[in-house]
Formats: sequence, C-alpha cells, structure tokens
Amino acid sequence: MRDAYVVGAGQSAYGSFPDESYRSLFRTAVEEAVDSVDRGIDLGAVDEAYVGTLGVGGRQIGLSAPAVTEHVGLDGTPATRVENACAASGYAVRQAVMAVRSGMADVVLAGGVEVMTDLSGDTVRYWLGVSGETEWERLSGTTFAGVYAQMASAHMREHGTTTDQLSAVAVKNHDNGARNPKAQLDFTCTLEEATAAPTVADPLTLYHCCPTTDGAAAVLVASEDVVDDFAADPVRVAGVGAAADRVGLFRRDSYTSIPASRRAADAAYDAAGVGPADLDFAEVHDCFAIAELLAYEDLRSCERGAAGPYVESGATESDGELPVNTSGGLKSKGHPIGATGAGQVVETFDQLTGRAGDRGLEAPAVGLTHNVGGSGGAAVVHVLEREDRRGAGS
Amino acid sequence: MSRGVLAVGAYAPANRVPAAAFEDAWGRFEVSGVETTAVPDADEDALTMGVEAARRALSAGGVDGAVLDVLTFATTTPPLAEEDLTPRLGSYLGAPANVAGRTYGGHTRAGVDALLDALDREGEGTALVVAADCPAGEPDDPRERAAGAGAAALLVGPDAPATVVETAAATDPRPGTRFRRAGDDRLDGLDAGRYDRAAFVEPVEATLDGLDTGADVDAVAVQAPDGRLPYRADIDDEAVAAVETVSELGDTAAASVPLGLAHAFEAGHERTLAIGWGSGAGAVAARIEGTAPVEASLSVDRELDYTAYLRRRGDVVGDVPDGGAAHVSVPSWRRSLPSRHRHEAGRCPDCGAVAFPPAGACPDCRSLTDFEPVEPARTGTVEAATVIGEGGAPPEFAALQARQGAFGVAVVAFDAGNEAVSIPVQVVGEAAVGDRVRAVPRRIYVEEGVPRYGLKALPVGD
Repeated sequence: MRDAYVVGAGQSAYGSFPDESYRSLFRTAVEEAVDSVDRGIDLGAVDEAYVGTLGVGGRQIGLSAPAVTEHVGLDGTPATRVENACAASGYAVRQAVMAVRSGMADVVLAGGVEVMTDLSGDTVRYWLGVSGETEWERLSGTTFAGVYAQMASAHMREHGTTTDQLSAVAVKNHDNGARNPKAQLDFTCTLEEATAAPTVADPLTLYHCCPTTDGAAAVLVASEDVVDDFAADPVRVAGVGAAADRVGLFRRDSYTSIPASRRAADAAYDAAGVGPADLDFAEVHDCFAIAELLAYEDLRSCERGAAGPYVESGATESDGELPVNTSGGLKSKGHPIGATGAGQVVETFDQLTGRAGDRGLEAPAVGLTHNVGGSGGAAVVHVLEREDRRGAGS
Repeated sequence: MSRGVLAVGAYAPANRVPAAAFEDAWGRFEVSGVETTAVPDADEDALTMGVEAARRALSAGGVDGAVLDVLTFATTTPPLAEEDLTPRLGSYLGAPANVAGRTYGGHTRAGVDALLDALDREGEGTALVVAADCPAGEPDDPRERAAGAGAAALLVGPDAPATVVETAAATDPRPGTRFRRAGDDRLDGLDAGRYDRAAFVEPVEATLDGLDTGADVDAVAVQAPDGRLPYRADIDDEAVAAVETVSELGDTAAASVPLGLAHAFEAGHERTLAIGWGSGAGAVAARIEGTAPVEASLSVDRELDYTAYLRRRGDVVGDVPDGGAAHVSVPSWRRSLPSRHRHEAGRCPDCGAVAFPPAGACPDCRSLTDFEPVEPARTGTVEAATVIGEGGAPPEFAALQARQGAFGVAVVAFDAGNEAVSIPVQVVGEAAVGDRVRAVPRRIYVEEGVPRYGLKALPVGD
C-alpha cells in the first residue's frame, strides 16, 4: 500500500463574510493550499477532488463538489461531495488518502466549505438540527447544543465534572485563538466570564459553544511516488481511523463518551504505530466544551471521567504535555461545518511545517486530528507525522 | 344491575389564572362566580386532555383500552374542524381496531348527549365517553374571562354501579346567546341581558318539570357557561355548589357536566342530577342513582399572571418563524404511531433485548428481525437532560417556546419487561438527571397543517 502525504494545506479566514460566497471562500482556501506547497504545484496535477459540505442554507445541495471545483478550474476532474455532518471534510481527507493509497490517484484535493452567517437565526437553527436523529431526537425539541448538553449532564452526574472545568476549555481555546490570525473569535476570556455567560442549553453557556462560521479549507494529498516533486518537508499520513455510530444519542451505548471517537482513535493509533503518549499535539472536535473533555478521554489522553481535572492541570495548554487546539479549535477559530475537518489538517500541517507563527510549537513530530459528525454518529481521526523528526525527538 | 357508568376519569390542565390577574390588567373582572380558570399548555388541546381523562377512567375501572367496543369524543373545540379524532384517541388508549368511533360537538350539551346516547344503547358492550373542551373568546370578551379547560371520561357498560333512572329534554329556539361563526375559533354572543338568561334558565327549568322522579337530589351537575347562570335557574343552590367546577376551572363547555358528575361520584352522592345545556337553546336532564369509582387529580401547581396567560393563548406570539420545520412525512409519521402514542418498543425474538423505536437491526445482537411489541411503563427515570432556553428552540418548537418559555429535553429510561428502553422526550417544564417523569399526551408539532401527537415527560417527583 502506497503512503499518502499532505503536501499543502490552506484555509480562508473563518468568520462572517457577507461579501464572500461559498465559491470565493473555497477559492481562497485552494490558493493558500497551492501557495503552501514547498516546490510548487499546478492544479492540473490534481487527479481527484473530495469536498465536504453540509450545505447549510440549501444553497447548492446537489452537485456541491463540482460547483466549487469548477470555480478553481478543475471542471474536468472527478469531484465528489462528502457529507458526514460536521465530519464532512475530515472524511473528505480520508477519501483522498484512500484514493492515493489505492493507486487510483497521485494527487488529490480534499477540502470543505460552509457559509452559515447569511441566514436568519431560525434558518440557522433549522440547519443546525438536520444532523440530529430527526424522527425522535430532534422532535423531542432538542438542538445540537441540547444533545451535547445532555451528554454534559450525564458526565457531571457520573464523574462530578463541573461548569468551571467546561469553562477551562473555553479559556484555553480563546487564548490560542487570539494568536491565530484566521480565527473568528480572536479574543481571550476569563473563567468567570465563561461560567457566568448566558445559558444556551443547561449546563452549557454561550462560551461553551462554538460560533456559526463562514469558511473553507483545502488540503493537497500526494502519493509517495510523487511527494518529492512537491514537498521538501513531507507530512506523512501515518494513520487513519474512522467509525460510525447510531445517530441518536438515545440509541448509543454511552452518553458519557463518544464511542465512534474511541474506535476511530484506536484504529488510527494502531495504523500509525503510536499511542496517545506519542502525540506532540492534537486538534480535537470542540464544538462544545464538553466535546473537548470527552475527546481527551476518547483519545485516551486521560482516564475516563478524568477530563475535568486533566484540563484544569494545564496539560492541554500550548505549553502543556499535550497542546490541544492550538488553532483555537472550533470554539475560537470557528466551525464552518463542512470545512472544519480539513481545517484541522491545515493547522496540523502548519504546526508540523513551522507555519503556525506565534502559536507554533517546538519542532513537533506527531499531530492528531479528531473530527466528529453530529453528536457522534461519525468520527474520523488522522495521525500526521514528520518522519524526519520521529525518533530524533521523543 | 343495568347499563350505567362503571368508572370516571377527570383531567384539567395544571395552569390557573386568577380573576385578580384580569382585574390587574383590565381594571375589572365582570364574571362573578369564577375565581380561577384552567389554562391549557400551548401543546394541550381537547384531544390531549381527553386522552388524560380517558386513561384515568380506564384505570379507575381497572380495565385497559382493549375492552372498548365504542369510543365517543365530545367537544366544541376539536383541534381540527373536520376529521375523525377517535382513531387517534383510540390509538393512545390501545383500543381495538374494530372499536366504533362517534363524535359529538356543535354546542356545550355535547358531552351529556354523548353520555346519554351511550347509556341508551343496550347491547353495545363497553363504551368510553370522552368529553374535553377548551373554549376561547376575544381577550376582552366576557366569554373569554370565563373560558376554562378540562376533560372527563365516563366508562359505560352493563352491571354498572351508577345508573340513569329518568331523563327529560327541552328545546326553545333562542339564537344569538353563544355562538361561533364557521371558521372562527372565538366564541361570540350578543350579551342581551334578560334574553340571554332566559335562553339558559327556561329550557333548564323545563327539563326539571319533565322529570317524574323530581329534583330532590344530593347534587346537581349543571352546565356552567359562567359562575352565575347555574344559580339563576330554580334549582337547589347548595346541590349545585356541592359539585360545581366552574369557580376553579372556568367554563369547560362539553366537559362541564361530566366534570360535575366526577365530583359528585367522588363525594359519594348517591342521587345526582345531570343537566346539560347547549346554546340555541336546548337542555337535557338525567337523574342518576349510585356512584362509580373516580380517578381525578385536578392539581393546581402553576399560577399564571396575565402576561403568561396571554402568551399561552398565543395572542402575543407571532407566526411560525422561517427556516422550516424538521420534516417527517405524514405516512412516515403514521408508521410510528404506536410508538408516538404509547411508546411501543420491541423485544428481539433472538436475544430478548428491547429496542426503541422497534425497527431495524436489534441494538444488542444486530439481528435483522421483527420485534415483538412491548409497551413500556409510563413512568421512567431521566438519564440525560438539558433545558432549551428562551430563543434557542429549533424552528418547529419556536412558537411553543414563545407561548410557554424554556423547556427541558431529556433521555428517559422506561421499564419494559426485564429491561429499560431509552427514549428522547420533551419535558413539560424542566427535569434533571435522576428525576422521575411520566409520559403524558401532548401535541408535538403541526407540520403540513397536520397536528402530530405524541408523548412528553411530566416530572412527578419521587
């Protein structure tokens, strides 16, 4: 099986951009990805494209992948939409890796795009609910925040997790996002502010919830046969893991973890030949603060039930043992649903190749991305590495 | 013993708005004899209240819906002007498919007419007569001041402890005292003083004159369009006051007399007069002897101020917001009705696990099987919970939230045989992990103009 490498990655700024369109944002991301390729690349080299998008607003539900790839001149290249809710473009990257590893493609463009801020509040709330289980869960009146709040209620009951521990996630991610010029909410907040903010879905406050976001991200994946044509410091896709689960929380085996995350992470670790202790940093799916706490446990960075004390220990701050969400995460960087998973790969690529500016880590070798669809109906984990740094470092 | 009333159930919404709230808002309250009125929640209507009363009547009678031969629904405020609601009522109760459904309406006497017809039909087996109503008028109309809400259900069959010994009817053409135009949901009337009073008093008194057995009784359950008219007729005031519900619940229209009967039986009155009246005008009186078991808890746990009352009525709430609603087609919805109305789950014949909804692969053994129906307990324990704050509801619940405020959403474990099934439900109010809740009938939402009914969770303490 051929190895796959990330040879370029870029994203638009995340935020609210009434003067942009889903196509112009996608173009910006692709151009940045092209610019990031060490030895340059002509988009004509792309054999295949995968685009993640939920299609919020219904702006282009059918043929949404060709609709954006034609905009960057790839009108003759096979393009496929990947839809797995908030994990859409994490899965698009996985599709790209599969295409390369299978031998069908040497260079694949994987990306995602979403525009969410040009709609009324009610319309956004409609779209934010489409990835819940519709017939029973959504018709109980819950929202996306509501389902994660239910998980938080169960975690608090079972493990004594506190509101301040949820707030610690927000404080950390805002600190990181404030150093990311692409972040949507580029300001810091205090623990007190996060805890005292208005309640969105008890126990989650406004600061425990990610914003709605416009944005796009793009990743260029190349095979080992051609990687040297493009990359001076190749980033190898060391492991990929993915898992699905029952869409509705009420049908799952656990409310205090995301079983799909555990399965995806275990598979990715296994494939990469690493364990949680080998990670130098991680970009995890923190759509809500409880989601990041669950991720610590599901990625096995801490014991089950121990995520609250773990975040309070500072372990996941940028100078901690496992910096998590140096980009600011979904919480601060923003969460343009279809772009989020690819955007996590962008941050990981930037960290591994020294492009992360003020928030850059010290020569990291191994990074992980963790992307969840809905409340856990799909999850995908990538382990990316700098082969030249492994062994040399830890 | 002959055909009569076997058992009675009664229900009223938990909300009360006191007369003082109207006085504060309008400077006066012109409806004497009404101290509070019952206000339905935004997701309650005549059908859901009727289901509550019907469940209680079946419980009081120690039977379940499977015994029913006839199911009768009487209301002046059906949630749909045309469509038979008895099939949905029967579905909630687990009535058999061959149950005969009947509907009465058009005037407030409907509940008594339905009861007397069911009692008359010897040889029809077991009938459940469900009367439920929630009349409404314009906010400044005296009929709205009196408007209440409630439901009563009477189980009718042979060998009954409470029987009708005589009936008498009277009519008198008196248009204009209380009417509703076609297509309108607000009551109107001319308020023509003595004319209005005569339209009530004369037919009511005429029925009493028609009773050979006389009006010497312990209790009189008489139609109460307001708190004053019942006392204008020449009836024993104390016997009326003994079982009236208008002072607490307000005008319950078709449910008014059935609720009075529930009170009379509950109090052990052996001789009761039921007098139904409908505008137009006509009355019917029935002398009932004996009592039947009653299950009724007309609990009051929420006093509304005037603003909360207006919000619940929907007067100060805008139209359905944009954004669209979560779409479940009506045919798809119908497939799930046993689970919507009774939380029907399914036991896997291969491994015994219980699944909700009972469709698809078994959640435990993954067998692609056909589940055996299991009906979980109505009371369960909250496993996970949140509260959707004001302004945070998805579009299909935005109007509900505008009328009623924040609501809880929970995953609740209900016992089902040796297992428990977890079901996502909206909470009537709020609930926390570990709380006990009961599944109660409520309207879930209206999509494509079709009201969709299901179950929500009412906290019940320990």
